[in-house]
Amino acid sequence: MKRARKLMALLLAGLMVVGCAACSTPGQSETTAAATGGASGETSGETAGSGETAGEESGGEKIFRYSVTADVSTLDPQKMNDTNGGTLGYHMFEGLTRSIGGEVHPGIAESWDVSDDGLVYTFHLRDAKWSDGEPVTAEQFAYAFRRLVDPATASTFAFIGKPLKNAEEITAGEVAVEELGVKVIDEKTLECTLAFPAPYFLQVLSMSQFAPAREDYVTQYGAEFAGDGEKNVYNGPFMLKEWRQNDRFILEKNPNYWDAENVHLDGAEVIVVADTNTALAMYEQGELDYVVVPTDLMPNYPDAVASPSGACDFIRLNTGSGPLANQNFRLALNYGLNRNEFVLLSTNGYWEAANRFVLPIVGGVSSTYGEEFPYTAFPMDGDQAKAQEYLQAALQELGLSDASEITMEMLTTDSERTKKEAEVLQALLQEALGININITLLPFTERVAREETGDFEMVVSGILPDYPDPISFLESWETDSPYNHMSYSNAEYDALLEKAYADGNAETRFATLFEAEQVLMEDGAIVPLQYRTDGRLLNPAMTDVSYYFCGYTVNFIHADKSV
Amino acid sequence: MGKYILKRVAVSVLTLFVLITVVFALVRLMPGDPFSGEKMTPEIRANLEAYYGLDKPLLEQYITYVKNLLRGDFGYSMKYLNRTVNDIIASSFPYSIDLGMRALALSISMGLVFGILSARYRGKKLDFICIVIAILGTSIPDFIMGALLQYFFGIQWGLFPVAQYQGIQYTILPSIALGFYTLAMVSRLMRASMLEVVTQDYIKTAKSDGISNVRIVWKHQIRNAIMPVVTVLGPVVATTLTGTFVIESIFAIPGMGKFYVESVQKLDYSLVLGMTVFYGGFLILANLIVDILYGVIDPRIRLAGK
Repeated sequence: MKRARKLMALLLAGLMVVGCAACSTPGQSETTAAATGGASGETSGETAGSGETAGEESGGEKIFRYSVTADVSTLDPQKMNDTNGGTLGYHMFEGLTRSIGGEVHPGIAESWDVSDDGLVYTFHLRDAKWSDGEPVTAEQFAYAFRRLVDPATASTFAFIGKPLKNAEEITAGEVAVEELGVKVIDEKTLECTLAFPAPYFLQVLSMSQFAPAREDYVTQYGAEFAGDGEKNVYNGPFMLKEWRQNDRFILEKNPNYWDAENVHLDGAEVIVVADTNTALAMYEQGELDYVVVPTDLMPNYPDAVASPSGACDFIRLNTGSGPLANQNFRLALNYGLNRNEFVLLSTNGYWEAANRFVLPIVGGVSSTYGEEFPYTAFPMDGDQAKAQEYLQAALQELGLSDASEITMEMLTTDSERTKKEAEVLQALLQEALGININITLLPFTERVAREETGDFEMVVSGILPDYPDPISFLESWETDSPYNHMSYSNAEYDALLEKAYADGNAETRFATLFEAEQVLMEDGAIVPLQYRTDGRLLNPAMTDVSYYFCGYTVNFIHADKSV
Repeated sequence: MGKYILKRVAVSVLTLFVLITVVFALVRLMPGDPFSGEKMTPEIRANLEAYYGLDKPLLEQYITYVKNLLRGDFGYSMKYLNRTVNDIIASSFPYSIDLGMRALALSISMGLVFGILSARYRGKKLDFICIVIAILGTSIPDFIMGALLQYFFGIQWGLFPVAQYQGIQYTILPSIALGFYTLAMVSRLMRASMLEVVTQDYIKTAKSDGISNVRIVWKHQIRNAIMPVVTVLGPVVATTLTGTFVIESIFAIPGMGKFYVESVQKLDYSLVLGMTVFYGGFLILANLIVDILYGVIDPRIRLAGK
């Protein structure tokens, strides 16, 4: 027994020594970071040091620092599928065009000609270089476009290639990838043939999915292509120096960028901070230059700049069966809901109540869609008289005597915010209509899975536009759309969308799309809820930083920082 | 002895195997799949499923998985497209183990000191202070503790960095936040144990022998009182090392905890399995070492196993 005690004591002492060895090694975590960097261990050790002092003491280096809540899924341009990756890609790559705040500017293409029918685009490329000095060529664009829609690439964003001729057929495996509507005329000229005149085509060309790609790098690195700084090359204003997984992205100014003289920052550091309160604290300590204020803390930051995040929330209704198959009942829900009350109770009114489906700030003919086609589908405060009217009609059609006989299940994601949101909706709708609503909280993946398989009655859902055009919202409710998960089908709606797709004239096209939106609303197909807003704080030392809701969240290409 | 060790090893391997099988089955039973919620055409979905082998019969997938595992290959993550699960573990585990070891070193050593002091000065001011600390530690959850430390020491007084993990000064707040509960537990355990030992006959004997007070405390009291603390160390190490998620999130530390939670939420099959097998294997190995040590230390345990 005595021996046992001695051994135990020894063990304990050993443990403490290990612990203390860790305490007394200040460089410990730097070493850890270096070790994880693998082959580039030494460089990452260096950057760990500079990261600590970035923008503060390292000789007036102009580094823009901001945080993201999660690591990105991939930085492979054609496979990118999240907003954070989109913002990074926006700064690392440059497509034929560059969309700034929804306005199309020349990118790698200096100019372009469009055929009269709007189906053939000819792009004239400028003399631009990759970060390794190689020229950017038309062939690299054609390769990237084919790679995007090629089913073998299995990019979840392949659908974005839809405007290109044969893209859908290629992704479906029906047509060979060589048949894609893209043709290299010469090294600096690229011709794109579209499947339908898509006025938003120039917008999507700005996205990373349409950035050029280098076949040599794709082949060399295979599955690990773009997995770290040196595993890809960059033709945008910044290049990825290092991607420390789950920790940070270190961007450096790309000296070979064609417009490098107008890039004033030396680099950027994008830090993964999962907790938004922590990010805010870091901003207040001067460790970040830009932060998004958590919605519940907005009252404390009256000078935060509020702008739409792009996300639009709505209640998805399963129109396939039950009371929700009844149009009058769906309209009763829409008129019964006091949307002003809803946003006031769920977010103190910081998010904007929505009474139409398409985000009004997406592009229109010449200004925004909302300005050109103003619409009040349902009064913001609701209309109880109308709601009762529709409800009574619905009850009669459904053969029910009282609204309390209707019980609906409403699914939502299991998080504090969404739970509160659902409870407010439940209270407001129950009070207005006298129906019963049961809330079911589900983990995100399960909620989505049930949504996709149509296993729901009502679900609080959201949509983020992929490009700033009404069609990015409206395409989801076409009868045969793969994203139509509510068995919604309306022949009139389908016909209007088909008409809009084929329409090369911007004015009539947008008018048709607006008509389609009205059909959707008058049918009560969904219950629009709100447009989310982000409150943003920016270090006063920064200038020329802008925000947008689509493609990227923050633009710091031409930003400057006084140090 | 050799037979005993062999037996323990065999049991450990079997446990790990059962763990893999159960987790493999459970994660597939969860509703949804890794590609739920992404906007994609059915053809792309089919291609992705084929790429990850998800289109094959479940049994075949299982066999392939175990085969790869035997070669130490956890496969590619389904959420982080360019990374293997091995990569993710290799880059994040060092942070978690570093944080965990610091928290353990701090909590065990300080816990023992507090426990001993509070027993020695029972009923006095020092005892009272130690008890308050212990009560706070056991009653404040770690996420509140982390947020409080961050607010006061980071934001209000600016003594330590608010977040991240890039040097010694960054490690202090998260280590305290993570270790505080253990500290409180160890100190309470040690105090109770010390007070129990004090009433033992051999202490009286030692006192009557005229041995100095200091010597009695060191040689007889502490060494006997520490036994119950040592027995809880196993589970304590386990909970500390696996419980880093919240702290890592609050302090923006790129450790493993996040992947552990996120992989389940996102149903990243290969990552869920990789994380479970790695953590499970780690704990099973720790238990195996303890078992073997017990055998070495105490022949009775070794013999009873026969």
